[in-house]
Amino acid sequence: MSTSDTRSDSGAASRARRNWGPLALALPALLLLVGVIGYPLFTVVLRSLSQPEWGLQNYIWFFGTPVNLVVLQRTFTISAWVTLVCVVAAYPYAYAMTAVGPKARLLLTLCVLIPFWVSGVVRTLAWVILLQDSGVINSTLRALDLGRLRLIRTQTGVVIGMAQVLLPFMILPLYSVMKGIDLRLVQASRSLGASPLRAFFTVYLPLSLPGVYAGAIIVFILALGFYITPALLGGPRSTMLSTLVQNQVLSLLQWGRGGAMGVVLLLATFILLALAGPLMRQKHKQGARS
Amino acid sequence: MKTHLTLAAAGVALVLGALPAMAQEKPVAGEVKEGSLKGKTLTFVSYGGIYQDGQIAALKEFVDKSGVKLLSDGPTETAKIQAQVESGNVSWDVVDTSDFPPYVYCGKLFQKLDMSKIDTSKIPAGQVGECSVPAMNYGVVLMYNNETYKDNPPKSWADFFDTEKFPGTRAIEGSGDVSGGLLEQAFRLNGGDPKAMKPEDIDGAIQKVRDIGSDTIFWKTGAESQQLAESGEADMIMMWTGRAMAAVKNGAKYTPVWQDWLVVMDQLTIPVGVKDTDAAYALINAYLGKSAQEILTEKTSYTPINNEAQPKVEPAVAAFLTNTPERQKQGYQQNIKFWVDNYEAVNEKWSAVLAGN
Repeated sequence: MSTSDTRSDSGAASRARRNWGPLALALPALLLLVGVIGYPLFTVVLRSLSQPEWGLQNYIWFFGTPVNLVVLQRTFTISAWVTLVCVVAAYPYAYAMTAVGPKARLLLTLCVLIPFWVSGVVRTLAWVILLQDSGVINSTLRALDLGRLRLIRTQTGVVIGMAQVLLPFMILPLYSVMKGIDLRLVQASRSLGASPLRAFFTVYLPLSLPGVYAGAIIVFILALGFYITPALLGGPRSTMLSTLVQNQVLSLLQWGRGGAMGVVLLLATFILLALAGPLMRQKHKQGARS
Repeated sequence: MKTHLTLAAAGVALVLGALPAMAQEKPVAGEVKEGSLKGKTLTFVSYGGIYQDGQIAALKEFVDKSGVKLLSDGPTETAKIQAQVESGNVSWDVVDTSDFPPYVYCGKLFQKLDMSKIDTSKIPAGQVGECSVPAMNYGVVLMYNNETYKDNPPKSWADFFDTEKFPGTRAIEGSGDVSGGLLEQAFRLNGGDPKAMKPEDIDGAIQKVRDIGSDTIFWKTGAESQQLAESGEADMIMMWTGRAMAAVKNGAKYTPVWQDWLVVMDQLTIPVGVKDTDAAYALINAYLGKSAQEILTEKTSYTPINNEAQPKVEPAVAAFLTNTPERQKQGYQQNIKFWVDNYEAVNEKWSAVLAGN
């Protein structure tokens, strides 16, 4: 009944319906985001300003406590290293995925996805077994009389473990961009006399950069909030901000301070992305032009 | 007047007559009234794993007799109790917590306990708090690697801090909770008396821990400490007795130093605002009973907190029980009041150590 009514409506109404249609499709996800992310985030901000009383005390405390600043900076440094390691490791891998035949590609895809389906805790514990002083790597080194590498309870160990956990988030966006690159462009540059290196750096690399940026942003942001991997693979000197938040909220019941730490991390991330954004767009345009 | 007096006298007589009857009402640990909680539900909250399984097993008789429906939840998180108390919707009736929270949040998150409703007479001395009774006992011991120290092993916590006479890596609890006991041992190194420790002494004690050096391992979970022992990663490990026992059972070549082992316990508490306080008391009173405590120890290998309990355990477990007369003499109880009074300041300083700053 009602459908036939709307069908007989004027053209303007149906145009309006067309405009709102896509938004309606996004509605379930939007509602979910508002309910599951938006509202809790709002309460976090509210608590950071209102507990134990209204004011900026939690932020004053945050910036007045040296350990917070050291750990905040460290959180960004570790995340940057993780992103770098992921880019370096993922780039050739994703390229290989585009270059090989379908069977080998399936194998490479599975190699990325299978660890992705295993819980992060399990993978991290596997790294403990590999990295610890009496672990696989160091026993091998000792057997070869090569001394020992300090891996577990160091930032190096944390970066290795986190990069492995986050690698799929780098490989998959890279692959989806790379497989869309028209390789005839590379061939064309070669036929015009470019060396393989030049062809790569002036043609292929710029075209693949959107994938690098997309992957890097996802990896970097996910890395900022890591908790379990630094806790298990790291020592005091690789403690990240999430651990301090946990201590404030769960041990000291200082929800306000925990909230302030979260807000500071969020704002710092926004600022960093805002600074990096124009840079990326510019490079991207240059890439598209060349 | 006369009638008034006789009435008063009769009243006094009535009260006096009722006294012995009331005395009989006095609870006995482990005693449960048949069918007393039929139709009621209690939620018991603890830390999961074999520990909570053992606690539920220890409460089976209580459940069967009283007719209560017992739900199990967890893990315990003080922040979650706070959220429940503040929202006025408390669904956790009896909560097993770590050492300090019932002292820090006594009266705020945890009820002051009415000791006439539970029988605390069999609990080891000095362990009943205003808002808590112990749930079990265990210890923190110094475990050393037999192969590292061979004929010259460390004998005390002083040796733990002495990296010159006893070189090697140390592992310390870094779960986040402050171990007052460890800091008191550090404070004793310079001849300080922990019973007279002052807030300004905290920095010095923490410095002693820092002085052990950058090689120090801070383990975050009991499982991690056990793994450190089983893989031989550290030469001396500050370890919970339950984990120490499990590591030795799995073949770790480590030996405990019992001198000044730190007495630690989990606590049983009733959050503020539970729906049926008396039912919660009944659960705690049953939990404290002799047979319940024997079952708890047999299932979990933690030390019972009923002095009469005689659990039947294998020698490997018995070796790490902390309630034998010998262990009781060697044990060391931290100054809870001091650490609770300075809880926030110490926590702040300690978390800076744990964050590598």
